Amino acid sequence: MITASHPRAEGGGLSGLLLVALPVALLIWLVLWPVLQAVVGTVYFPGKGFSLSSYAFFFTDAYSLRNLWLTLWVTALTSALRVAVAMPIALYLRFRSGSIAALVQSLALFPLFVPSVLVAYAFIRVLGPNGIVDTVLVALGLPKLPTPYLTPAGPIIGLVWERLPLTLLLLLSGLGRVSIASVDAARDLGAGGLTIFSRIILPRIQSSIIVALAFNVLGLFSAFTLPYLLGPASPEMMGPYMQRTFSDNADPLNATTQAVITFAFCAAFGLVYVRAIARGRRGPA
Amino acid sequence: MNRREFLMASTVAGLAASTRFAAAATRIDMYTSSDANVSDFYGNVVKPAFEAANPGLELNVVIARPQAALDAVVQRALAALSTKSDPQLDFIEQYEPTLPAGGIEAGLWTDFGKAGLKSYAAVNKLAIQTPYGLPYRGSQVLIAYDTTKLSKDKVPKTFPDLVAWIKANPGEFIYNRPDKGGSGNNFVNRAVHEVSGRDPLKFTVDNYSQATADEVLGKTWALLGDLAPSLYQGGAYTAGNTASLQLLAQGAVTMIPAWSDQTLQAIAKGVLPETTGLVQLTDLALCGGFSQAVIPTNSAHFEGSLKLADFLLSQEMQTAIIEKLGGFPGVDWSNLPQALHDKYADVIPSSIPTFPAGDWTKAVQDGWYRNVAPNISRT
Repeated sequence: MITASHPRAEGGGLSGLLLVALPVALLIWLVLWPVLQAVVGTVYFPGKGFSLSSYAFFFTDAYSLRNLWLTLWVTALTSALRVAVAMPIALYLRFRSGSIAALVQSLALFPLFVPSVLVAYAFIRVLGPNGIVDTVLVALGLPKLPTPYLTPAGPIIGLVWERLPLTLLLLLSGLGRVSIASVDAARDLGAGGLTIFSRIILPRIQSSIIVALAFNVLGLFSAFTLPYLLGPASPEMMGPYMQRTFSDNADPLNATTQAVITFAFCAAFGLVYVRAIARGRRGPA
Repeated sequence: MNRREFLMASTVAGLAASTRFAAAATRIDMYTSSDANVSDFYGNVVKPAFEAANPGLELNVVIARPQAALDAVVQRALAALSTKSDPQLDFIEQYEPTLPAGGIEAGLWTDFGKAGLKSYAAVNKLAIQTPYGLPYRGSQVLIAYDTTKLSKDKVPKTFPDLVAWIKANPGEFIYNRPDKGGSGNNFVNRAVHEVSGRDPLKFTVDNYSQATADEVLGKTWALLGDLAPSLYQGGAYTAGNTASLQLLAQGAVTMIPAWSDQTLQAIAKGVLPETTGLVQLTDLALCGGFSQAVIPTNSAHFEGSLKLADFLLSQEMQTAIIEKLGGFPGVDWSNLPQALHDKYADVIPSSIPTFPAGDWTKAVQDGWYRNVAPNISRT
């Protein structure tokens, strides 16, 4: 985790400000300014005054709400699944070394280098109808599986695989703070695996888990390619829905409204992330 | 080679190239914003043949994707028209001649009816919408099916038969989301035609009204919603033309709506098996369209551009459009070899209905998402 530095009480203030000036200026120009434009543009109409009608439409439109719920639901489930899948791998990599561990690590980090379009088409080939899995099952005399392709499960499976490495790296960095000596000490006192995990390890990596979840939520909310290629036509996740509203329906107002609402949810999770970082700096809980 | 050397080398190469072009007799700047299969067709087929047939002329294929890039080039040509300067644009392979607004009135596009093209009389009359565009290639949505599962004589040939077949064979048909590709879109448009008396002329760019839409589209949603439980996975829709072709290729479904050119190309490349059958509905065909080439009247190489237009209508190029591009010819089939005619007899349209862009398409696509897509039964 990021460790607190010890700023000098005086001097270096100006050069420090100059160093951060560029990223801050970029942030204002490319993020905060467009956000402000979007928020203002959806509530204030020159010549007509203020109106919240596009928000009223979104929150009374059953179709839009269903898309928002699906996004929240997929985000929650996928984030939880990613942490659940990454945790055992992280624990294994933290407490084991050697060539097998190195192999596991490279396999687990592999998805980091695969673009999502390739993931989508590979998914269709493997898990799709009459894909490799079906072929193997039929060869073994087993019935075919109902394919997750074009169902809500499709994007979830794809998304879990795609960003697993990031979650794994975050958990690994948290586990770095768990000393092997304390685990050994607990084991010497007769603690079982579950007790060690819940009493020794979990408290030390709490903030890492929160950071991993926050990162996942931010990425998942704006997921586009996999929900678009693997998911059902309806309900849509917010990413494809915004794109369709903007370009197919030629309706920038409602698209921007959807974007502002999505941004509000992401900002809330961003806040959780910032608080977790701040707590991490004060020292692990 | 490091960065500096690379920059120097490319500058030298650029200079050499520009002097070479200056030395060449006439370079025709031809633009396209179509998909890679079309720009490849120009680079690999049209360019060598055209240059061989017209010594002294050079064809410069400029790829201007996305569409907005081409729009900017056209705006430049319109501006050049008023200042009487060189638009640096001689030919566009596909552009909507009614654009930009006021372009035709200002005299931007060449009137092909009066341009004196040798082969203009051969152009398919069904395809000419305006004399300012030259319909030299087309494609249309067809029904593609797996002949190993469905024999040729049992294929539905009318829309009611198709609906009956889909219901009798649940899970064997899929079409893509209408905004994600023309094949699914034109299947939905065909349903709109079906419930409104099979008259495509009822829908035009400027006759959208909420009342008509509510009535016609209400019936369309009822028809498509009724079909949904019999579709693949009880109402799944693929995310595009290619995804539908993939399901057909994997044997997951028996029948899909598909673009003629994409399907013929996929069969030629082995992506789809030889046993893929194609059929067009006979009561009213699925929609399609022709690509219209345009020539700005202020083209600096106007005569050369007209030669290119004539060349594209030649039997050699029209045959290549069918065999290499998988498209429909822009000229009437009677001008092409009989053998070719027989080979594609199943897919030659007697009419090519279209569906208007703009408000109608928006209403159909968004309405489909709200009324048809959610009807899914996962049992």
